[in-house]
This record gives sequence, structure tokens and C-alpha cells, in this order.
Amino acid sequence: MKSLFKSKPKTPAELVRLTRELLIFVDTDSTTKGTKRDEKMAELSKLIRDLKCVLYGNGESEPLVEACVQLTQEFFKQNTLRLIIVCLPKLNLETRKDATQVVANLQRQQVQSRLIASDYLESNKDLMDILITGYENMDLALHYGAMLRECIRHQIIARYVLESEHMKKFFGYIQLPNFDIASDASATFKELLTRHKSTVAEFLTKNYDWFFAEYNKNLLESTNYIIRRQSVKLLGDMLLDRSNSPVMMKYVCSKDNLRILMNLLRESSKNIPLEAFHVFKLFAANQNKPPEIVSILVANRSKLLRFFSEFKLDKEDEQFEADKAQVIKEIVALEPKDRS
Amino acid sequence: MGKQQKYPVGAEHYKLFEEIGCGASATVYRAICIPSQETVAVKVLDFEKEKSDVCKIVHEAQTMTLIDHPNLLKAHCSFVADHYLWVVMPFMSAGSCLHIMKSAFPDGLEEKVIATILREVLRGLENIHQHGDIHRDVKAGNIMVDSHGAVKLGDFGVSASLFDAGNRLHGRKTFVGTPCWMAPEVLLQDDDYDFKADIWSFGITALELAHGHAPFSTLSPMKAIVKTIQSAAPGLDYVAGKKFSNSFNQVIAKCLQKDPHNRPSAKELLKHSFFKKARSSEYVACTLLKRLPTLGDGAKELQIREATIVQKKMSDMKKEEIAPYKQGISAWKFDVADLKAQASQLPDDEESIARKDQVECSVTSESERELSCCIGDTVTENAPQNGEEQHNLVEKGEIAIVQQRGRFKVSTEIGH
Repeated sequence: MKSLFKSKPKTPAELVRLTRELLIFVDTDSTTKGTKRDEKMAELSKLIRDLKCVLYGNGESEPLVEACVQLTQEFFKQNTLRLIIVCLPKLNLETRKDATQVVANLQRQQVQSRLIASDYLESNKDLMDILITGYENMDLALHYGAMLRECIRHQIIARYVLESEHMKKFFGYIQLPNFDIASDASATFKELLTRHKSTVAEFLTKNYDWFFAEYNKNLLESTNYIIRRQSVKLLGDMLLDRSNSPVMMKYVCSKDNLRILMNLLRESSKNIPLEAFHVFKLFAANQNKPPEIVSILVANRSKLLRFFSEFKLDKEDEQFEADKAQVIKEIVALEPKDRS
Repeated sequence: MGKQQKYPVGAEHYKLFEEIGCGASATVYRAICIPSQETVAVKVLDFEKEKSDVCKIVHEAQTMTLIDHPNLLKAHCSFVADHYLWVVMPFMSAGSCLHIMKSAFPDGLEEKVIATILREVLRGLENIHQHGDIHRDVKAGNIMVDSHGAVKLGDFGVSASLFDAGNRLHGRKTFVGTPCWMAPEVLLQDDDYDFKADIWSFGITALELAHGHAPFSTLSPMKAIVKTIQSAAPGLDYVAGKKFSNSFNQVIAKCLQKDPHNRPSAKELLKHSFFKKARSSEYVACTLLKRLPTLGDGAKELQIREATIVQKKMSDMKKEEIAPYKQGISAWKFDVADLKAQASQLPDDEESIARKDQVECSVTSESERELSCCIGDTVTENAPQNGEEQHNLVEKGEIAIVQQRGRFKVSTEIGH
């Protein structure tokens, strides 16, 4: 492949314009049928692949900055992104994959050091609604999911999603029986709850009650191994983040939360107890433990101490050993509140 | 979830039979999809196994679900059952090319069949590369053939994406693959590598199909690595009675160039005149499969016997899983009202620890919690590292008490 465009070279902007025209055709025309329509669809597939070549390079050559800029500018000048998202169900699988990679890439393209994709999405937030509900359609879920994860790199868009009613839906999506889709929803959920620290802290503070009730019930206490494993890891990531410390303090004062974490601690898995430990240690280290937390720890003291004496890593890990020693020290030193 | 799924999700819909393949992280079984009675292959991956990286498993499952190419093995669906992932795939009844050669063509295949197989593999590779993926494990053992002679490249267990969600990466820097088939730049690890690493492996695979084994395959992995890096690129052997064409030689020489930039892309290679020798899948079926012991009938008796063994093995695995857990910590106490009553009876009875302490300890490891890319983490196998004391002591139970008494003493001194 010596040149990207063999017959008549088109500029990146032309490629976008032609793509847009065809997308409008696909979107609105319902009368053209048969070979005529097939030809148009084939042309559209080729154009979207060409767009991808401009943005990613073609294996032999690296992408050119100037070409990417031109393409991005033309793309967001009009409603091309909306058209691509809306028309995705009508494209074939290979073209859907190409389109997804194009949309993903565009979220990171800068034009005069601005992410113009973010500006576009800010005034077209309803596109997020389409992408999120895509998890309900098996044929679109992975494409829309991948696009969605790129869009929420923009803080303003992540905030929109976090504040929307859609957040509740994720608990259902993560529990879908298809592993590929459920784990995609799970990856998006994680991104939403870890990427933009200040926005996440605000969300968790405002929505503490319903969010952790759902989190405990649907994820930490799920019957599905991988949901428990991923959610206890994410819980640790959230609570151990400095920006979420008020949320963490609230979380470790609840005996229901402690009960759930202690149950995860004694699972037969290798991975789940370790992740659970990173959360459990926060309950133990809390210097203002409510009496009900103290009671549980005291009542289980001998079992906990025995458990921790056997709880070890393969490799030397000073931090882990120090954390464990601290937890043991805290538990040993506990006095039941109502005796003192 | 509008439409009815052709391949239902849930272990209860499949019946596993004999093992048909076994990799580092997964086992593949022949299976029946109960509602449709279709024979399928089910790959079972253990999430608890060493080195199981959830991120990679997710990538593989998603890549395979989205495959729509006649020369790539796709996943019909995947779902979690206990701590295993089940991936349902088409059943390739003739097995891999390696399997076929081992059972009927120990000295390799004839050129026309090779050309046909390689053309199909290249078409698959072209598609993978088009989407920014590298296969990273091209070899005869991963080229599958079905009862109609269709050829599919399988096992995306180690495949990597060069397009990391929107960003073009410049190359990968990980040591993955099988040594004999690995490109020098992958082995050397001092250079990022890309699509071209697959082309090298493809060249080695061509030699493998011609000879019945890969060059250097009789050497130890370490020696094979040294040979690949230091010696001249391997070529076709001239064994008495076996002749290969010039064009076949050319294809191999093009692929096995040490400088990856000089190797052709899959797309370019497909235009090579050698592939004019390629025939149809019927041809593959006629020449290869008729010499094979038919998997379907001859092995049936064996399968039924093995099936019961497999099912038993699966249920045994579950039992083992639960055993240490039951012996370990019995349920925690959570009833707070009850707890307060019991709290007055403290301190704990240490004797009960002594009695119960003969428990296998499961050890977990996670090196850099902060660095781990997502939920999945590297897990390593049990290895007692109980500090200095343990080596000298025979009874595990005693140590626990000694340690705990010690701690208890210290703390009570501080406490009061």
C-alpha cells in the first residue's frame, strides 16, 4: 500500500463530507432497496475505514497531525457524530467496529489545543442516553459501550452521566448474564467512579444512601464471583482515594458494611479476601469506631486473629504486612464499649 | 435483550464431554448445547488461576464475540459459572493442524494443502491487523479445521490491541507467545513490535506445516530463543522425496526477515503468486480429513466414558474449593444484641484456636495494587512465607498460638 487513496485522493474533510451525506441517506431513506442500497452501504463502509486510516495510520505509516485536525474539525462542524451513533444499527459488524474506533479516537483529537469533541457533546448530551441504553441491546452494547467510555473522559460528560438517572441502570447492566457485555458495563462504571476525582466525591456524597445500598446488595453480595471480585476491588479504590475520605468515614461506621466485608474476607477465593482486606482495614483503623462496630470486632476477636495469622502473601510485601500488623494491633487492643 | 439467543448463557444449557484442548490458562471441552443439540466447544478459564488477568480475559471475550470473519474462530457467547468463565465456540471437529499432522502426517503436508491453509490464515490475520490487534500466537496448534475443511485461526488468549481504546500505540513490549514461533524483535524485547511479529510466526508456521514440526522445536526453549536471535533465519529442508516450489521458498524468506520493516503485511503477502496454488476447503477436507480417524464415530465410546470423568472432575473441583473454607473460619457473629451479652464473657478462649488451627492457609499476592490496570490482578500460588519461626517448627498450630499469645501480652500491657 503505497498511498492511502489509490484512485482519486480525497482530503480528510472531503471524506467526512461524503460520509455525512451517506449517513443522512442511510438514516432517512427507506425507499431505495436492493443493489442500489447495497452499493451505498459498501461505499459508506469504505469511507468509514478510510477515516480510520487517517486517524490511526495504516500499519505502515503513522497518522499525520494536520490530516487528523482537518478531519476532526469537519467532523464536529455538523452532526456527523450524532448520525454515526444513530445509524450504527444499520451498519454491518465490520463497519460498526471501524466506526467505534473512529468515534473513540476523535474524543482525544485536539484542534488548537482544545478537545472539540467535548464541546460538541456538551451541547448534545442526549447522545449519552443512546449510548448508555445501548447496553440493553446485545448487538450494539460493545460498540456503544466503547464509545461511551471514551466520551466520559470529558469531565463535563462524566458529570452528566453521574447525575443522570442512568447511574441506577448500571447495577442491572453489570448483572447481565453475557460476560462480554456485563464486563464492559463494569469497566464503564469503574471509569465513571474513579476518573474525575472531584466529580466522583461530589456524586458519592450526594447520593451516598441509595448508591451504597445498591452497591452492597447487587454487587458485593452478588452470587456471581466476578461481580463480587470486581466490586470489592472498586470499593477499595474508591474508599482509599483521598478525595473520598468523608465518604470512607461514613462507610466504615456501618455494621452492615462491616458484616459484608467480613463475609468477603472469609471467602475461599484467593483474590476476594485480599481485596476485602484493603477495605476491612479501614474499619479497624478507624479511631472513632461506633460501639456496634467494636462489638462485632470484639465478638469475633479470636477468629479474626486466627484468620490474620494465616493470611499471607506469596511475595514479601512490607506495606501489606504493616497494614496487617496494624489491624491486628487494633483488634487486640479493643475493649467492649459498654464495659469501660 | 430482545431476541432469543441461539446460544443461551448459563452452564445449565451445556453438557460437557471430553477435553479437546488444554492451554496455560484454560481447558477446552467438546460440549452439546442442550436446547439445540448442536455440538460446540467450550473453553473454561479459571479466574482464580495464577496469572489470570481479568482485563485480558475481558479483551479476549469481547474480541472473539465481535469476530465476523470466516477464517477467525469466534465466540458464540461467554458467561461466568462459579469462578470460571465459559466461552462457547464453534466445534472444529478435525482439531488443529498440529493435531492433524501428529495423527496422520508426521512429516508434514503437501504444498497445495499448505498453500490453502496459509491463504486462509493470512485472510484471518489481515482482518485482525485491520482492527489494530496482533494475534501473537500464530502456530499450527492454533489453526483449526472443521469437518468441511474450513480453516480458522483461533486462540486469542494472548492477542493484544495496538489501538488501545482510541489511541494508536507505537508497539507492544511484552514477552508473549511460544518461543519457537516468536519473532526476534519479540524475543529481544529491546524494540517495540507490531503486526510484523505475526508475519514472522506465520513464516515459522509455514515451515512447521511443511516439515511436521517447527524449526528448533527439538531444542529447549532457551536454546530456541538463542538460535532465533543469533542464527540465520531458517528455511525449507530438502528431504529426499519431498520437493517444494520456489514460490513457497520465497514466501518463507519474505516472512523470516530479521528486520520487521522488511516483512510484507498480510495484505501484501496474499497477492504473492504462491497462493495461486491454493484450493478450496473441499480440497482440504478430501486430502486431510479422510486420513484422520473420524473423531465423530470412532471416539464415541471413549467420549461417553470420558464425559462422566469430566463431569466428575468438575464437581470435584467445586468440592475442593469449598473444603478449606469450611474448615477455616466458621461464620462470623453479627447479632449485635447477642454480641453484647457475649462480650462480658471475654477474653476469648484460646484453646479453641489450638484445636481448629490445622488449616491449609491460602496465600494471596498482589504486587502493586496501585499499578494494576483494572480489577484483575496477578495471583501466585501458595508458598508459605511465615517468617523466620515457621521453618523450625513442625506444628503449625503451635506457632499461631505462640504468635498470638505474644501479641496479646504486649497489647494488654499497653491497654491497661
